[in-house]
Amino acid sequence: MSEMTQQQTAADERVKEMSPLRRALIRPELGGICGTIVVFACFFVFAFDSGMFNSQGVMNWSTVSAQFMIIAVGACLLMIAGEFDLSVGSMIGFSGMMIAIFSVTMGWPVWIAILVTFALCIAIGAVNGFIVIRTGLPSFIVTLASLFILRGFTIYLPQTLERKTIIGGIRDIAEGDWLAPIFGGKILKGLFQWMGDTGIIATFERGSRAGDPVVDGIPMLIVWAIALVIVGHLLLTRTQFGNWIFAAGGDAQAARYVGVPVNRVKVLMFMFTAFCACVFATCQVMEFGSAGADRGLLKEFEAIIAVVIGGALLTGGYGSVIGAALGALIFGVVQQGLFFAGVESSLFRVFLGVILLFAVVLNTYIRRMITGER
Amino acid sequence: MRSLIASVAVGAVLAVAPVAAPAMAQDDLSYVLVSHAPDSDSWWNTIKNGIALAGDHVGVSVEYRNPPTGDIADMARIIEQAAASGPNGIITTLADYDVLSGPIMDAVASGVDVIIMNTGTADQAREVGALMYVGQPEYDAGYAAGLRAKGDGITSFLCVNHTIQQPSLVERCQGFADGLGVELGESMLDSGTDPAEVKNKVMAYLSTNPDTDAVLTLGPVSADPTIQALEENGMAGDIYFGTFDLGEEIVKAIKAGTIKWGIDQQPFLQAYLPVVIMANYHRYGVLPGNNINSGPGFVTADGLEKVEMFAGEYR
Amino acid sequence: MNTRTQHEPIIQMREIEKHFGSVIALAGVSLDVYPGECHCLLGDNGAGKSTFIKTMSGVHEPTSGEILFEGKPMRFADPRMAIAAGIATVYQDLAMIPLMSVARNFFMGNEPIKRIAGIPFYDQEHAGRITMEEMRKMGINLRGPDQAVGTLSGGERQTVAIARAVHFGAKVLILDEPTSALGVRQTSNVLATVDKVRKQDIAVVFITHNVRHALAVGDRFTVLNRGKTLGTAQRGQITPDELQDLMAGGQELAELEGSLGGTV
Repeated sequence: MSEMTQQQTAADERVKEMSPLRRALIRPELGGICGTIVVFACFFVFAFDSGMFNSQGVMNWSTVSAQFMIIAVGACLLMIAGEFDLSVGSMIGFSGMMIAIFSVTMGWPVWIAILVTFALCIAIGAVNGFIVIRTGLPSFIVTLASLFILRGFTIYLPQTLERKTIIGGIRDIAEGDWLAPIFGGKILKGLFQWMGDTGIIATFERGSRAGDPVVDGIPMLIVWAIALVIVGHLLLTRTQFGNWIFAAGGDAQAARYVGVPVNRVKVLMFMFTAFCACVFATCQVMEFGSAGADRGLLKEFEAIIAVVIGGALLTGGYGSVIGAALGALIFGVVQQGLFFAGVESSLFRVFLGVILLFAVVLNTYIRRMITGER
Repeated sequence: MRSLIASVAVGAVLAVAPVAAPAMAQDDLSYVLVSHAPDSDSWWNTIKNGIALAGDHVGVSVEYRNPPTGDIADMARIIEQAAASGPNGIITTLADYDVLSGPIMDAVASGVDVIIMNTGTADQAREVGALMYVGQPEYDAGYAAGLRAKGDGITSFLCVNHTIQQPSLVERCQGFADGLGVELGESMLDSGTDPAEVKNKVMAYLSTNPDTDAVLTLGPVSADPTIQALEENGMAGDIYFGTFDLGEEIVKAIKAGTIKWGIDQQPFLQAYLPVVIMANYHRYGVLPGNNINSGPGFVTADGLEKVEMFAGEYR
Repeated sequence: MNTRTQHEPIIQMREIEKHFGSVIALAGVSLDVYPGECHCLLGDNGAGKSTFIKTMSGVHEPTSGEILFEGKPMRFADPRMAIAAGIATVYQDLAMIPLMSVARNFFMGNEPIKRIAGIPFYDQEHAGRITMEEMRKMGINLRGPDQAVGTLSGGERQTVAIARAVHFGAKVLILDEPTSALGVRQTSNVLATVDKVRKQDIAVVFITHNVRHALAVGDRFTVLNRGKTLGTAQRGQITPDELQDLMAGGQELAELEGSLGGTV
């Protein structure tokens, strides 16, 4: 009998040779890569001289894309682990508001306010995860509840404490704080000053800042985004834990049977998603100096859209952080680029829908290729 | 391969998109108006019509932009984007000074002229280096309305706030309360924007607080369902009802006597004037010497004709 | 064809009872499994086969009874304890994750670690190499270690799962109906794999309700019916018909079989 198998091994006519092209096609990032190229090509043609590709313009869509990237990394890993978090947007509003309440209303040092807020948000993420794991309810529903609960508190707390829904003045308090610049600061200021001096990038024409470069550094928001993408990508593809994330989302039961701690993986991913939302909020609060009750509205869907454009499956078990990052880039570039191209802004949603639809169709096709379904 | 075709198709869709190409004006002045309003806020339609008309009248192109969800942080990015695209001027609201002052000051410093419209104050406009402020100071308008109501013998009220996270709306309520000389306290209702919810919440509030003298709504979003609520519980025409802003339903209600007065901040002026002022400034270097208060104008049952004709369009 | 090399059973199940509320799923089942033997567990649907192997693999704790593993009494609180002890289970439909690569499936839960600057990374290269090697041994020709399991046939997936269990030191391999959803050729592949595993001195518990498949590889046969053992037979001591009758609880099937012309 074993001879028979050997023979079959030698000549299994059913294992088709795969062309390198086809192999390249079945990567989750493929849709994202193609989309990025197409989107940039389009805007190069239609909006090149609109200011989209000058230093201010590049910084503008980079910042917006970086925002999407930060929440997309969390949403991506969570989606691959087989769960959703619809409370991301509310979490952004909530964590920003908590930083403001801790630092402005309660007068804590900003770094303590930030650290406590991070701890609080990660704990809420863990609670989300535990409820999902313990009850077995779809995370969709559980986090939908958190969406409302957190948003409610984000409006209620500042109203009760400060009688208003926007708490400002954080920039002044954060002056001289050691932790705040890690979220709200800028790096490479010297380089940009030099580029401004040598005329590579434009400088301000008037006012007290005349002569300063229009872009005076890379915001930490972008640094965070790149760092999270790299860490997320390595975690997912190059570590044991990454394999567990795939396994937990691919088939939780099968993963449990081989000893993967599926529950722990999922809870940790909920916590990581909350962490990403908190990074987003902290960067925003430190940059703008205020927290508002309406911050982060609908951001959960934007994160999910970026992840799906980036090739992840809504059903879990498949996806890529790099893809999600490209999805976020596409999202950001299209959103801001349409303004540059002078397209009526209400059409943005139309484009978003069209891109999303294409991404989903493309992903379905890729998955069929991978699993060999017809 | 099919995936490649799909991607190309995405490109094709982008390519054939209706790029709004405004009629070429003689000297190519282009302005951007940035608002803080979410897509769903129909009140801003008047603004859109106002800038379109002004653009036609003086021959400039004006684009309207807003954060789709009304997130002010997103609005900051839109102002940055608008500045980067290098228009001649930006007309923007100043819905949150902390968030928007930075991007606006950057725009001013990079050579783009700015006029603040609608939300914000004259002081804030001066601080960010804007040319001027065109709008209705919200607190003052609320205060004026409060004084008026006090004169009519009102001592308690309900303020129906449909966007409670928007500070300027809270200021209207606060101003009204201060004008009346009462505490705002529990009088402000977080109604949300869904018409059915607004209606039910108003009815519930009025049935638990039956001795409420007056209702103040902050725009068509809260006024329209409130009118229905009052008609349903029989308080229409009986309870003292004032509202901010106008709209078709509000005008009808004023005519019917359900609404005593509407505070018209005249958004048309907030949109039309900045465009015209800026175009003349850029062409001939002339600029009015002061800020312009577009409101409050109290609209009552007398003299409704023009309002009725253009409600929702220019009024 | 009894290839037993040790005379101590590796696992002994003594008088195992399992109650689910008022339902008695197992009413005292005993079973010994020796290293290097393929012990077939037969029974009709609802006979208690699944419940029985789930107590063996740590999914259920028995209500009463004793499990001796390598001569020592053991209680498995969860599947991971059983896996750690060396009892691996390959479930019929839950063996593999189709969207993941063969290598990632193979090392799922046991990922090889390579430290770079003190950070534990997943050793992809090692995982890929071992997977290709093990698959070749089992007679599966992969395009590469990153080929998705979804592209493999049902039989091949079972084989990957079995190879995985063996590679990670299973002393007892429980196969839950590995052939029930397979075609003829794939079935024979899986049975060949079972044979290879047995020759490595691993105890195989083979659950099936197909007498022919059982007889092809089994050394001993235990028949379960209504939560009880109907006895254990050595290879050669029992005919297929007798086994079939035992499984169905005797008489009824013999009559039924007559009317169906011996096709069951």
